[in-house]
Amino acid sequence: MEEKKLTEQESLSIITEMISRTKERYIGNGNIMLMWGWLTIAATGLVWALLAFTQNPLWNWLWFVIPAIGGVATPVMAKKSDRQQGVKTYADKISSQIWLAVSLIAIAASIVCIGFDFAGIYVWSLMFIYALIIVPFAEIAQGLIVKEKSLVVGGACGMAVGLFTTSCIIGHIELHAYWFLPTFMLAFACMMLIPGYVINYKSRRK
Amino acid sequence: MKELDPLLHSQLRLAVMSILMNVEEADFVYLKEKTESTAGNLSVQLDKLSNAGYISVAKGFSGRKTRTVCRVTERGRKAFEEYVETLRTYINL
Repeated sequence: MEEKKLTEQESLSIITEMISRTKERYIGNGNIMLMWGWLTIAATGLVWALLAFTQNPLWNWLWFVIPAIGGVATPVMAKKSDRQQGVKTYADKISSQIWLAVSLIAIAASIVCIGFDFAGIYVWSLMFIYALIIVPFAEIAQGLIVKEKSLVVGGACGMAVGLFTTSCIIGHIELHAYWFLPTFMLAFACMMLIPGYVINYKSRRK
Repeated sequence: MKELDPLLHSQLRLAVMSILMNVEEADFVYLKEKTESTAGNLSVQLDKLSNAGYISVAKGFSGRKTRTVCRVTERGRKAFEEYVETLRTYINL
């Protein structure tokens, strides 16, 4: 495109053309979702196995592997994705702010749990409610913003498990590791792995 | 009749502003690709828009390569809106 003076009609057509070019949606990649999905499933499987074999509740501290690894890897992967994309739309900005809020809620929830732990009260189930209500809600919101059905469906599956889990906690039904942890892993597979692979597939096809 | 802003009434600068009005930020490579311009020409036009305060240009590094990221400023947004408004009066939209 060369620099030249324009007629009014040409100006209008340039504006229209450029707007339509920015509308070409870059779906991004699902690698961050896959990382969180596999990380959560692997950590849950590990905690489940260790609890089953040793009956030692101290293994529950291994849950912190998830935010430790995910919290470091996410900004690195997001930065790389931004560079590849070359553009940040308003939808991208809103999505990243939603996930930032989700991260801050995770930190706040962990602090609450640790605080209660010091008082000798075990409220770590709160983290399951966080993982299966707040995270799916954010995923559904992101899916609606970027118009990606797999995120909405995946988030809805996670939310269904979350509502069930919350009801169990409120109804004092114990979340036994032998049935709850596989359910939790399945929920994360629906929430993170399936949408992650769907997005990667669509991205490759584009 | 009000005159069209001469800074915007130019093919490449108008194209760049139209893109930046629709996104939060865009880097040099993206703008070059979407406007189908040459690096030299685009660079000159970005400087003009930046000097007028219509866009902000941040230069950083992406690995070993430099990465120039552009954003439209409040002044640029206002100028673009006025430009479109004036254009409408010209073509009786």
